[in-house]
Amino acid sequence: MEKYLLIALFSPLVGSLFAALFGAKPKRLLTGIVTSALLFVSLISSLILLVHIASSDDIVRVKLFDWITVGSLNIPFGFVADQVSVIMMVTVTTVSALVHVYSIGYMEHDKGFNRFFSYLSAFVFSMMVLVMSDNFAGLFIGWEGVGLCSWLLIGFWYHKKDETRDINPSISPSWAANEAFIMNRIADLGMLLGLFLIYWHVGSLQYDVVFAHVDLLNIGLVTLIGIFLFIGAMGKSAQFPLHTWLADAMEGPTPVSALIHAATMVTAGVYLVVRAFPIYSQIPDIGFFIASLGAFVAVFAASMALVNTDLKRIIAYSTLSQLGYMFVAGGLGAYWIALFHLMTHAFFKALLFLGAGNVMHAMNDELNIFKMGGLHKVMKYTAILMIIASLALAGIYPFAGFFSKDKILEVAFDSQHYILWFMLWLGAGMTAFYSFRLIMLVFFGEERYKKYGFHPHEAHWYMLLAMAPLAILAIIAGFFEESFEHFVTKILPEYHFHVHGIVTVALIGVTTLIALSGIAFAIYKYSKGGFSEKWKEHPIYKLLYNQYYIPIIYEKVFTEPYKELSKIAWKELDLRVVDATVDFIANVVYKSGFAGRVVQSGNLSKMLRWMVIGLLVLIVLVIVYSPVR
Amino acid sequence: MDHILSLLVFFPALAGMLGFIVKKENIKVYGITVATIEFVLSLILWLVFDPSNGGFQFVEFIPLIPNYGINYYLGVDGISLFIIILSTFITLVGLISLNIEKNLKNMIISLLFLEMTMVGVFVALDAVVFYIFWELSLVPMLYIIGYWGGELRVYAAIKFFLYTFFGSLIMLVGMLFLAYLYYLATGTISFAIPDWHRLILPYDYQIWLFLAFFLGMAIKVPMFPFHTWLPYAHGQAPTIGSVILAAVLLKMGTYGFVRFLLPIFPDASVALIAPIAFLSIVMVIYTAMVAYAQEDMKQVIAYSSISHMGVIVLGTFAMNVEGIAGSIFLMISHGIVSGALFMLVGNIYDRRHTKLLSEFGGLASVMPKYATIFGIVLMASVGLPLTIGFVGEFLSLMGIYKISAAYAFLGGTGIILGAAYMLRVYKLAFFGPLTNEKNKNLPDLNWKELTSLVSLVAVIIWLGVNPNPVLKPINASVESMLQLMEKKAITKEAKDIFAHNKVELEAK
Repeated sequence: MEKYLLIALFSPLVGSLFAALFGAKPKRLLTGIVTSALLFVSLISSLILLVHIASSDDIVRVKLFDWITVGSLNIPFGFVADQVSVIMMVTVTTVSALVHVYSIGYMEHDKGFNRFFSYLSAFVFSMMVLVMSDNFAGLFIGWEGVGLCSWLLIGFWYHKKDETRDINPSISPSWAANEAFIMNRIADLGMLLGLFLIYWHVGSLQYDVVFAHVDLLNIGLVTLIGIFLFIGAMGKSAQFPLHTWLADAMEGPTPVSALIHAATMVTAGVYLVVRAFPIYSQIPDIGFFIASLGAFVAVFAASMALVNTDLKRIIAYSTLSQLGYMFVAGGLGAYWIALFHLMTHAFFKALLFLGAGNVMHAMNDELNIFKMGGLHKVMKYTAILMIIASLALAGIYPFAGFFSKDKILEVAFDSQHYILWFMLWLGAGMTAFYSFRLIMLVFFGEERYKKYGFHPHEAHWYMLLAMAPLAILAIIAGFFEESFEHFVTKILPEYHFHVHGIVTVALIGVTTLIALSGIAFAIYKYSKGGFSEKWKEHPIYKLLYNQYYIPIIYEKVFTEPYKELSKIAWKELDLRVVDATVDFIANVVYKSGFAGRVVQSGNLSKMLRWMVIGLLVLIVLVIVYSPVR
Repeated sequence: MDHILSLLVFFPALAGMLGFIVKKENIKVYGITVATIEFVLSLILWLVFDPSNGGFQFVEFIPLIPNYGINYYLGVDGISLFIIILSTFITLVGLISLNIEKNLKNMIISLLFLEMTMVGVFVALDAVVFYIFWELSLVPMLYIIGYWGGELRVYAAIKFFLYTFFGSLIMLVGMLFLAYLYYLATGTISFAIPDWHRLILPYDYQIWLFLAFFLGMAIKVPMFPFHTWLPYAHGQAPTIGSVILAAVLLKMGTYGFVRFLLPIFPDASVALIAPIAFLSIVMVIYTAMVAYAQEDMKQVIAYSSISHMGVIVLGTFAMNVEGIAGSIFLMISHGIVSGALFMLVGNIYDRRHTKLLSEFGGLASVMPKYATIFGIVLMASVGLPLTIGFVGEFLSLMGIYKISAAYAFLGGTGIILGAAYMLRVYKLAFFGPLTNEKNKNLPDLNWKELTSLVSLVAVIIWLGVNPNPVLKPINASVESMLQLMEKKAITKEAKDIFAHNKVELEAK
């Protein structure tokens, strides 16, 4: 089985290096095909491992060689496929393989075709390292690796120039890429401190050693470790206040948004919380904080999605909101449910993004949904696929989102966090509304695109084919709930519900009700031409549309003062104070040297006079310091 | 093998002397050949080096002035081994990429002479020999900056020379006094560093001597606030000068910290952790900010060097194996990375004769190879895992965390600020539309530039993925040094720190 683990891990790397060989060369279809094929190899290996682990409960471990050995620190390149990581492996490789195939069509006219596949496969490799490592340092390798690939891919169209926020709220791809990288770095520092703390108190970064020791550590320490690791998770999973980069990351090509910024990388934070459950289950207070933040983000992000007009940004906010749901589950100790929602979300959100990619292709990269409408006539399949994804996202039976999202609400209610439950419930209604607002504005109603002179067309058959498995998974994945629970709770703790029967049914009913009303309201409102223009002047609309002004606040409070301060540090402090002092001292030495030249003028009478002065000084010194006085 | 160190020290200089009779057309090939032989010699040294032995190996001892305890005394341990290899490697790579026309012969001879002084500093076990090489290294650098430099070259060269020379003189006074103290303690004078290592000094003397040594070395590092000579030197130096200055010469200072300060003055080192950590943190944050404000690409790299050196000093004063070994590894990795960055800036300067960021933009589309290599080196500079830059930074910060979480946090902001200024440079130079007409037809890297850069990139990845061959010998030597320090410690504070500076399982 070790063989399959290594194949699953390294075939994306091989693909990436192969594509990199053609990096700067004109498009070669081969790079797309080879990388996609290798991704399927990786997927099949992961599936084999899944079957193996499911049937035998045998955890597969591989240690390649030692990475860092210093003092008592020993970090190996160690990988593990257990119940949790194999679920992540299958999810990641499934979505990645399909996105690769899709991208062959999506990027067909792009000059950077080969480069794109090299980056994309490198991302998958990093993500596999992240989920498969058996220690925190290995996780951190993958963590930074996905950050690098995310930077490369957000900034993929680097040649675009910076715009003002009015024209492009993300400014430019390269700006958005840097923002994402730096913001993640802030969180990474927290995570690094967490690793240091673990090491100095446990002496190892191996999961099994650390988790075995958690019981022995005092609770303050565990709390601190939990906080530090969660700061790391907040960056990768774009939780408030480190969330602004995710919406701006939509500057990347759409397959990237589907794979990295929806299905996989952004869920790394959730994975970390799930993986480190022995730590988090010791500290329910921190767990409650995580859950509260998650619930807040679930509503906060959904509210921004309500009014946005940008196709991709709406879906990005929705991702943010769903990550909030996952953190609620993780924070409240329902780790397997968090993981379950992570998986179903990966399928339907990737599907939604790929559908959005089709729409963008059809509309020459136009993103404003108010310039679309009635597209279902020309893009029947895309419309169907996106509706499936939206139903799953809204949590309608029997789609996958129904099962996983509902479970999270049940957990919130069951653990008597009624406020959290209410927020999530509200979020569910908003999710349903904005999802179908998008569907209505893009696919139905007046064909506004004709005004703008677009000639939309359906995507390639193989792009649709690549989406089909995701659609099937978005429909059926929910029915695996029980076997999923049974499988992952071999490692993760089970969650015991206290409420049963009628309460549960009522909860499901209430949630479904608000979701259906959200959908109905969206369909009703937008089949009648939508809201009036008056709303755009309303302060609440403006607040939501401008993302609560947070990006502007960050710019005014952090970016610009930092720039100014840097200038002051350089021009005022470094040149004027520090360096000027050095030069001043040097000048004093020079000048006194010049001044002192008079004693060596060569004029005998002057020199004699100086000699007398010198003698007098010496005599004075003798008198002052004389021991006999 | 008995005299491999002498061979390593004097071969480049002697070959450099012979260079005077080599024809002008052949001098470059000659220089590269000499540097290659020297590099191979240093690799042989690594090959025959016993990594499990933490003490000095290949020791050579010839009495020079035995009455005054001054001897020709050389040796190498895990701490110095890789800095020696770094010196020979960077010299070789620098020579390959060299493209100076003016008075090439003198340049190559200066470089070979410089190589002797660099290797000499790192193998010297006698303080006088150390000091001689330390000072001699200034001479070729003064010449390189002063002759091949930019407009302000004379000012920059003299500033560099006088500033570091001033610091060294104070260090020399410290050395003389230390030898005298050794005489008082034992009845014989000795300048041998291993002898000094065994000497237990009273606390007061330790503090004063520590400060004398520290000042001389801190100017070389350069620590804040003694750093202002560096931007001038880099700003005016030709590419090769900057490469060697950043990659190797700065490391003399931090190497001195590890070789002299820690083992000779363990109590003073412990007592002064707080002020030194403070200076280092100021260095990390403040120079990172200054780097962010720069308009000239080379100045960004120059200031970033100072910022990274701050992390090295933090690691050194962590007083534990993880931190010190990490800081030594970071010296090597910073040498490779900053050398590569200065070379890259040199490449673009050769093409455009400007280093101003405002002159560039969109270079990624005309020079893809250049952009790729710059990107990889940049990622190593910001310390991405699996590049050489991560290992040392991670270990240094991990080490200082044991002393104080606040130091690690503040020093760790370097990874954020470092990303900020480096990505700013990358965005301004490589991203965005290609607007400047002059950049539209820039040629990509040629084979000569590629050879030197690709070899650096290979090391960046190789030691990032597998740093253990380097870490193991460092680890052994640092461990024996720390044992020595623990044995020597006299103050309670120092004893406490050494006793507890390791992993401790904290029970409930």
